[in-house]
Amino acid sequence: MTMTDKYKLIENRALQETLYYYRVDPGMDVYVLPKPGYQKKYAIFSTRFGSIDNRFRVEPEEDFTVVPDGVAHFLEHKLFEDDRGNVFDRFASLGASANAFTSFTQTTYLFSCTANFKENLDQLLNFVQEPYFTEQTVQKEQGIISQEIKMYEDHPHWRVFFNLLEALYREHPVRNDIAGTVESIAQITPELLYRCYNTFYHPSNMAVFVVGDLIPEEVGRQVEENLANHHYQPMGSIVRLYPHEPAEITRERIAQELVVSEPIFFLGFKDIVVDKLRGRDLMRREILMELVLDIMFGSSEALYNDLYREDLIDENFGAEYTAEINYGFTMIGGETKDPDQLYQRIMEIVAHVKKEGVSTEQFERHRRKILGGYIRRFNSLEFIANNFLAYRFRGTDLFELPSILQEIRCEEALALVEENLEPARHAVSLIFPQADQ
Amino acid sequence: MPEDYACHYLPNGIRLIFMPTKKFKTISLGLFIHQELNRDVVALNALLPSVLEQGCRLYPDYLTIQRVLENLYGAELGTDIIKSGERHIIAFTLETAHDQYLGANGKLLQQGMAILGAVVGDPLLIDDSFNDIYVAQEKNQLIKDIKALLNDKGAYALERCLSLMCAEERFGIYKLGRVEDYGAINAARLYSYYCDLFTHNPIDLYVIGDLIEEQVLETAAEIFNFSRNGRSDTLPETEIMGTVSEVKYAEDEMNVNQSKLVLGFRTATGYKDELYCPLLVYSGVLGGFPHSKLFMKVREEAGLAYYIHSRLERHKGLMVLAAGINYSDYQKARDIIDLQIEDMASGKISDAELDNTKRGLINQLRSQQDSPNQLISSHLEGFIGGRVYTIDELSEGIEAVGREEIMAVAERIKLDTVYLLRPREGGSTENDND
Repeated sequence: MTMTDKYKLIENRALQETLYYYRVDPGMDVYVLPKPGYQKKYAIFSTRFGSIDNRFRVEPEEDFTVVPDGVAHFLEHKLFEDDRGNVFDRFASLGASANAFTSFTQTTYLFSCTANFKENLDQLLNFVQEPYFTEQTVQKEQGIISQEIKMYEDHPHWRVFFNLLEALYREHPVRNDIAGTVESIAQITPELLYRCYNTFYHPSNMAVFVVGDLIPEEVGRQVEENLANHHYQPMGSIVRLYPHEPAEITRERIAQELVVSEPIFFLGFKDIVVDKLRGRDLMRREILMELVLDIMFGSSEALYNDLYREDLIDENFGAEYTAEINYGFTMIGGETKDPDQLYQRIMEIVAHVKKEGVSTEQFERHRRKILGGYIRRFNSLEFIANNFLAYRFRGTDLFELPSILQEIRCEEALALVEENLEPARHAVSLIFPQADQ
Repeated sequence: MPEDYACHYLPNGIRLIFMPTKKFKTISLGLFIHQELNRDVVALNALLPSVLEQGCRLYPDYLTIQRVLENLYGAELGTDIIKSGERHIIAFTLETAHDQYLGANGKLLQQGMAILGAVVGDPLLIDDSFNDIYVAQEKNQLIKDIKALLNDKGAYALERCLSLMCAEERFGIYKLGRVEDYGAINAARLYSYYCDLFTHNPIDLYVIGDLIEEQVLETAAEIFNFSRNGRSDTLPETEIMGTVSEVKYAEDEMNVNQSKLVLGFRTATGYKDELYCPLLVYSGVLGGFPHSKLFMKVREEAGLAYYIHSRLERHKGLMVLAAGINYSDYQKARDIIDLQIEDMASGKISDAELDNTKRGLINQLRSQQDSPNQLISSHLEGFIGGRVYTIDELSEGIEAVGREEIMAVAERIKLDTVYLLRPREGGSTENDND
């Protein structure tokens, strides 16, 4: 059986792009998007293993494995080293730039290159499939990651974000830093890394996305052949255990002092509906929330401009909604000289929209804005690949955005704000300048 | 630096650079006004784009401009103030999706350019002056921005090092100036400065997209038709200082967890220098990549840092090395860093280090062509530096670099300033037991 028997085309008329999809043994999705004229080729290899996956078992096991915070990120670092040395060197000798990142829900390995694509793609596939963890290399990495953690501890916008999640969530691991803590990573051992690796790095839990001026069939075949050489056995399904998260938040207010020029204020609302939604419904909620938040807090509307004139915000003020499969939240805020005033004004507009809804004019204007912004982002190979797999991993499809955007209706806005921006489930996070800085 | 671009002058002397390409989904516009970096005008330069963005004659306030942009399928208007060598660039960009993805019938170039032209060239005036309220408001915002540099400890440490290092040179001026530089500015002064700047200073207009050259030229000439001197003034070149009499050392204490180390070097090698390509390779081998000496030795072997790298200020001929470390590891880290710099000087560079760095640099050059913003900024760098290199020229130049050229450039490289942002003495947050 050859690759070409198994591919599927996914056309997007709005974007005038054609995506090639392959399903390769043992059960991995491969996507190739040809981008004629581009010099660069960009490839990512991702696993559905992020910082929140800290309790799991593999069928037919019965006992759950519980791992310390920060293991997914630690593992990401450690895959870049094996018994032949440093993986960065090997990409460098092929003229490629390699990297990786870990989020709450996934770990992604990547490279970009303008030469030697085939060799680089094999390099990417191989290093991710060849773990090498020893006591000594794990210990050295603890030093490096401790510095990374300390860097983020001094980063006010990072702190205000994680503090808010801590205030919103009581049990769910999204409340913990992705890199863990200096204490939690001290508990990591080679055995633990192998245990996670053998669970989450099976191809059936992974996917590849490649974009650039490429011939799709060749890429599909190369990935298939590479995996065949690694002789995988089928694996039972992974069962992830997330604690029951109550609707209630942990605390209404969380504050920290850091060396900053002005207070930083974020207000968050916890979403309790999102974990009942899948696929298109999840994405629909995401798009509608983005649109409604832009109407409430965007730079083309009255509130933003009033607040700016009154010197309560700067140009970085904004609102954002995140919807994952089992958690979701809205965050609104920025730097402000008067967090109490800003808080009042945000709560007022939320109450106002719940009463009055939004106008058709506003809705259509912001709809156009989202469509244009979406198209513009397709200039970036990194945007396309990273977002496509992130959407895929939560059962949604980046290419469906234009059609869902056309479907949503102005009348839905009111009910969504009513249900999702619920005062009983909001918290604030504050960073104050230190008294003696 | 695309291989294919056209350069024209509009009747009033504005230089138009058009880069035709089918690969992007956008029409990208950029307008850049060149000025010298100078204490007298730094705050005026920084204020101009922020004030102009607040409102123009046609769209008198920010909300109205934003709505016009939204109706243009969320076109994005951006303003910036860029410091490049001892040049200060006032920047405006406008990006819109291309008509063909929206069924918009070829009007978006004209409409987008008209908004850019209105904001830049047809400002909101009250009695031959800018709007007082906007000027006061943006002065306040910029003063907040200057103070907010403190929030990003890495960027703060870098600026501190450069300002100490170049205290006696124009380059030592922060791109937003100091708080006190804003005191005397009012709306009338800013407007008269604007008029002067528009009449005399070089202006570059970039257009990138799947467009017809004649149409771009016609549209631009029609919209950017404000009267100005046909010939632009020549701005002074960036001064490159090569001598260091004594290495300066400075540290600041702050309530932080991680120390930020910044080392400032003078390379005595500018953009047009015959050793420019060897300098690119030098900095690349030392600290430009994850395969570089600093990353391998300080991070991968000694585990002392998460980030450590070297970067060039290409016009001023400076190299800056930055790392985040534990304060208690300072000497250990310095020793390893110094050893790497000695190895560079004595040509102790493996074939792999040399070849991999060249490949990495060439990969970066080629990749720039895939982003409209990078295409514009790399071409603009050429205008600023007084020499527009093609990708082939630079690639061949990099390819040809050998150990001898690296050692030659290494002889010029002198440590000038060591800056350390360190945790406050007796602070409880430092954790040394890892």
